[in-house]
Amino acid sequence: MRVRFTGLKAWWVQRLSAVYMLLFVLFLLYSFALQPLREFSRWHAWVARPGISVAFLAFFAALLGHMWVGLRDVLLDYAKPAGLRRGLLAAVALGLLGLCIWLLVILLGLQG
Amino acid sequence: MKLSISRYDPERDKEPYLQDYEIELVATDHMLLDVLLRVKAQDNTLSFRKSCREGVCGSDAMNINGRNGLACITRISELREPVVIRPLPGFPIIRDLFVDMTQFFKQYHSITPYLVNDEPPPEKERLQAPAERDKLNGAYECILCACCTSQCPSYWWNPEKFVGPAGLIQAYRFIFDSRDRATAERLDDLDNDPYRLFRCRTIMNCAEVCPKGLEPVHAIERIRLKIAGMKEYVGGLDVHPPISPK
Amino acid sequence: MGREPPGTGLEAAAASRLRRPVFLNLTQIQMPVGALTSIGHRISGVVLATGVPAAAYLFALSLRDEGGFAQVAALFERLAFKAAAIIAIWALAHHVLGGIRHLLTDFDIGSPLRVARRSAWFVNLAGVAVALLAAGVMW
Repeated sequence: MRVRFTGLKAWWVQRLSAVYMLLFVLFLLYSFALQPLREFSRWHAWVARPGISVAFLAFFAALLGHMWVGLRDVLLDYAKPAGLRRGLLAAVALGLLGLCIWLLVILLGLQG
Repeated sequence: MKLSISRYDPERDKEPYLQDYEIELVATDHMLLDVLLRVKAQDNTLSFRKSCREGVCGSDAMNINGRNGLACITRISELREPVVIRPLPGFPIIRDLFVDMTQFFKQYHSITPYLVNDEPPPEKERLQAPAERDKLNGAYECILCACCTSQCPSYWWNPEKFVGPAGLIQAYRFIFDSRDRATAERLDDLDNDPYRLFRCRTIMNCAEVCPKGLEPVHAIERIRLKIAGMKEYVGGLDVHPPISPK
Repeated sequence: MGREPPGTGLEAAAASRLRRPVFLNLTQIQMPVGALTSIGHRISGVVLATGVPAAAYLFALSLRDEGGFAQVAALFERLAFKAAAIIAIWALAHHVLGGIRHLLTDFDIGSPLRVARRSAWFVNLAGVAVALLAAGVMW
């Protein structure tokens, strides 16, 4: 983790994911402004559309990558004992992995 | 003028404390250093570094009313009283306002602060076009006073691992020097480790307090872009009118 | 006190270095506007991160069935939820605006100190403004 995930790679992940998330959120706001999805059936149908689902999937991937770099930065700054730091980083990584699988299951479930 | 100055004698005190002084100002007192020297005349146990008294050596860097600056170029007319003077934040205190600069200079040395060029030297000097020389503007003026580095939260949390703004603006000065041949190694050294350069969060305290008006944060941005292999910007770094402690 | 003068004993020098105090009282050190933007960016990031699992749950619930959707919609009526939502909206606004400021300075736009200070003020105030606006809408 230390040697492979260099400063620059982390920086790129953080920046690119931020740009994608910003565009996606703007897209969401624009879509909801055009047609507010106030009923379950319309909300469900909209998210289940292949294009929208993929966009959401990419959003979650960006979100998790962005969270990882951000939380890692906080831990690198403040968690001084190396063992504690590595332990906390591993815990955060596991948590994010869990979130990733959960969100994937949710989106795939819509296609059923 | 009323002052509260941090005192600490390692032989006697457990921790630093503030001592109050009152000084009668005369017409020739313009800068804080003038007043500090009068305090020392009153109480000669007070210790602080000073040398050039004109803002070029960087010896008298200290925390004045919460903000780092050089005592010799801090106008007393602009200072809120009582003037609270403390040593540079985050640096080990040796005595009174003397701080240990060892770690600071270690970081400076770690960025290879000299030109690396093994090509046979030409008859006169190694040539450099004016446009190439311009790139060093806003970086070469650094006097290594440590005002920036001791006001940087990222440096406070990891002084042994993060190079700090002063070290990094010096790294910039060599990375962007067209006569240097070790650019790839310098960039690699700063990218290899998530701490050396990338702890910088662009907080910008460094630019705020630099007594020469330099902007290390800007230098760091440009080094990052160079590591990323992106477009290089022409010209030097921005320099702004320094903001003194109030 | 029985200690060698500094510079003559390596062990004494090292030992005295270990005992040296450090001035790091954040309440006594000035925090310029950019520093406030930066710490706000970090705090808002952590707030958002802790909210993501809850948001994922609500996302899943809203897509499960009619009942789930209705439950999520009903949440927006509860005061406790509204309060949490306003904090989350502040966090999102500050984090996104601060993030955009970061993206611009990364590429040398708005980097000089004078400009950066103004953008820092803008981010700090706009985040609060958005949160107040949201509070107004929810009321």
